[in-house]
Amino acid sequence: MADKQLACMTCEPKGLCGGRGLLTLKDGAWANNPLAIQILGICSALAVTNRLENSLVMGAALIFVCVGSNLLVSLLRKHTPHRIRMIAEVAIIATFVIVFDQFLKAFYWDMSKQLGPYVGLIITNCIVMGRAEAFALQNPPILSIVDGVANGLGYAVILAIIGFFRELLGTGEIFGYEVLSGQWYTPNQLMILAPGAFFALGIVIAVFNTIKGPEPQENK
Amino acid sequence: MKGSAYTLGYAAVLGVVCALLLTGAASFTAPYQEANAKAEEVLNILLVLNVSLPAETSSEELVEIYKEKVLEQKIGDIVKYVYSPQPPNEDGAIAIRFAGSGLWGPIKGFLALEQDMKTIRGITFYEQEETPGLGGEIVTEGFRKSFVGKTIHDKDDNVGIVICKPGSAKQQNEIDGITGATMTCDKVQAMLNEVIKSIVEEKQ
Repeated sequence: MADKQLACMTCEPKGLCGGRGLLTLKDGAWANNPLAIQILGICSALAVTNRLENSLVMGAALIFVCVGSNLLVSLLRKHTPHRIRMIAEVAIIATFVIVFDQFLKAFYWDMSKQLGPYVGLIITNCIVMGRAEAFALQNPPILSIVDGVANGLGYAVILAIIGFFRELLGTGEIFGYEVLSGQWYTPNQLMILAPGAFFALGIVIAVFNTIKGPEPQENK
Repeated sequence: MKGSAYTLGYAAVLGVVCALLLTGAASFTAPYQEANAKAEEVLNILLVLNVSLPAETSSEELVEIYKEKVLEQKIGDIVKYVYSPQPPNEDGAIAIRFAGSGLWGPIKGFLALEQDMKTIRGITFYEQEETPGLGGEIVTEGFRKSFVGKTIHDKDDNVGIVICKPGSAKQQNEIDGITGATMTCDKVQAMLNEVIKSIVEEKQ
């Protein structure tokens, strides 16, 4: 992260990212956060955030897929026939998702079982497809990687926040270690069940938007 | 505008490249995935046989323990997993795999019997897609524990178990069902009775 920001500052105004690296990063992770502002990728954000560890792995998966697919779509952007560009995007995204899923199954078996179908469902995650279609098709590869990192990070951080509070309040634990002692804290089971996910996500989105403030009105 | 031939060619090349990447990833990870699946199956068998395990065991150790303590016997179509402790400080047991269709998808698991081949020692389900909260409750310890100590025939020696209405289990072969999961319970009962019948027939 720090390296990227530094690189963008040093190579401005015309560097690898054409001076737009920092802006792209800020846009994806903050100003146009895919989860909190665009409200995309809600399904997985509700389903896998009952534990912090699950949230982090899911976030890592999305960063990997977003970066990979953005890079490849961007590299091929001048050669892809317009009519089949979406099919090509889905094929590329699916390839990265399945590769990640295979590695998860091989080296992180327990996690793979806990995440179940949700890793595979990244293929249909609007964030990945949206970034490929809206950004990578129009921008050079390195900038597209930055965009992938930014959006993946924007998703992963929100997931981690939700996962942190759901696991903490729902089980009194963080990463499986007891934090809130069972002697005085009764775990609120609701938080690890589906309704808790909706409450947590709603509150996080509300807080995020309050901190960020309203969208400046554009004068036409 | 690029021609149709170019579009077709592009799709073909992209398809082949993606397929190659996937093949590479799959064949690279296959041995690890198989080892994981094996370790999990072994763990299921060891658990249902109630073999005492050290608190922290790696998957390699599990496979070692399994090879050491459990004997696979193939009789006809059924494989019996026989646990015979050496020295005989614990009771031996026999596990059999069962499978069948549940309400939404396949249900698979292991049933373990005591050495007398009549008393149930334990049951596990390692694959199921039943309704969460209803049929999905078959995997809970509470439901699985209610099988322990039951027999696979009633007091008149009629073979078969009965999963009955919750709270109405009285006979030695009756097990309390789950509220709201009658269909799942019926299906589990049917697949268990099928495997029980095959064990009894094989014994005669």
